[in-house]
Amino acid sequence: MLVLILCLVCLFFLRDTAGLASTRVVLLDGADFVYRFSAAPRDVWASMRDHSQSRAELLEENRRLQQENLVLRGKTLQLAAFTAEISRYRALLRSSQLVGHEVMVAEIISVTSDPTRHLLILDKGADDSVQIGQPLLGAKGLMGQIVEVGTHSSRALLISDQTHAVPVQINRNGVRGIAEGIGDLDRLVIRHIAATTDILVGDLLVTSGLGGRFPPGYPVAVVSSVILSAGADFAEIFAEPLAHLDRGRHVLISVASEGPAASSQAEQ
Amino acid sequence: MTNSAHALWVVMFSLLAALVLHTLPLPFDWRWYRPELPLLVLFYWVLALPHRVGIFSAAMTGFAVDLLEGNLLGGLALGAVASTLIILFTYQRVRQFSLLQQSAIMGALVALALLLESWSQQLMNVPAPDYKLWLAAAIAAPTWPILRKILRSLRRYFEVN
Repeated sequence: MLVLILCLVCLFFLRDTAGLASTRVVLLDGADFVYRFSAAPRDVWASMRDHSQSRAELLEENRRLQQENLVLRGKTLQLAAFTAEISRYRALLRSSQLVGHEVMVAEIISVTSDPTRHLLILDKGADDSVQIGQPLLGAKGLMGQIVEVGTHSSRALLISDQTHAVPVQINRNGVRGIAEGIGDLDRLVIRHIAATTDILVGDLLVTSGLGGRFPPGYPVAVVSSVILSAGADFAEIFAEPLAHLDRGRHVLISVASEGPAASSQAEQ
Repeated sequence: MTNSAHALWVVMFSLLAALVLHTLPLPFDWRWYRPELPLLVLFYWVLALPHRVGIFSAAMTGFAVDLLEGNLLGGLALGAVASTLIILFTYQRVRQFSLLQQSAIMGALVALALLLESWSQQLMNVPAPDYKLWLAAAIAAPTWPILRKILRSLRRYFEVN
């Protein structure tokens, strides 16, 4: 009986009671230590493989990365000028300044073991000033957001999780919607879009910034199918996330920086 | 009652080992095929030592798994307690069953624990799909004979009682 009461108390109070936040952090630290422990053999194996890489392979990789770096630098050359120009227009329109964003690299320790959840465990925590709600980015697009923060680790919910939804808009024409995860790595669903709305397969969805959790403009997904059935009020729309949610060891945590956009000093 | 005389550390150790194995890194979609080891190890010890391992151990194991999986704390604990109660009421009969029957029962008990967990999640407005139960039961059943063999030899070697 006592045990049952204990279960119910935990179920109903531990998650939301603010006074128990420190208890949650301690419990999370303990849990994430177990994940680190069980991932240790894999990490040792990976570092051994790194050490045994041949010189030729390393040189080849270095050359490839240098070329890639040059291309990326070339692409960002005009970015400063564009950002300054946009800031000027926004000032003219009296809308708020763009907020600049820094990123922090985090390593994925593991994925939690419940297959119905899409939760990542990352190796950065409160000590590295990670906070709940910070967006998680991959190389190609938005991946998710931080939902729990421990001392040296944190947990991030992917956009494909069943409990996750992100406000998006179509990059082409600004039509807004909400992309919900359905527990499928390569499908998001966008509900409640009227059947007559201008939305096509191949449209890029970017974060709309509504709700204030995700900054506007990050690419999220590409519309993969639009199903219009006769008589239905809403179109059935699916989109494929751009970020490779189940690949790679590193992710970026986006941190809002203090001032307005970094290059706003370029405006005289 | 001293722990060393009954070698209860073997119970603790096997439960901890099951928890660590439960968190082994697996590719994203392979996680569906992970047997619910902590629950199965718990059920073995309840069946073997019902006077030592009971609902308190069940609740603790459930809490630990909830914590690791990041689910609502206490959901699987409720489920594990319910399944453990069933074993506690029927262990004398279950021990006499053939291996095949026992495996089926263990699969059902794992499914029951997960069912209660998903109910508790739905109660708290967290979506929880039901098909996970059937897969988990289908994987737990064939795991049971292997696990029973290993844990039984451990129990005999260390004279856990």
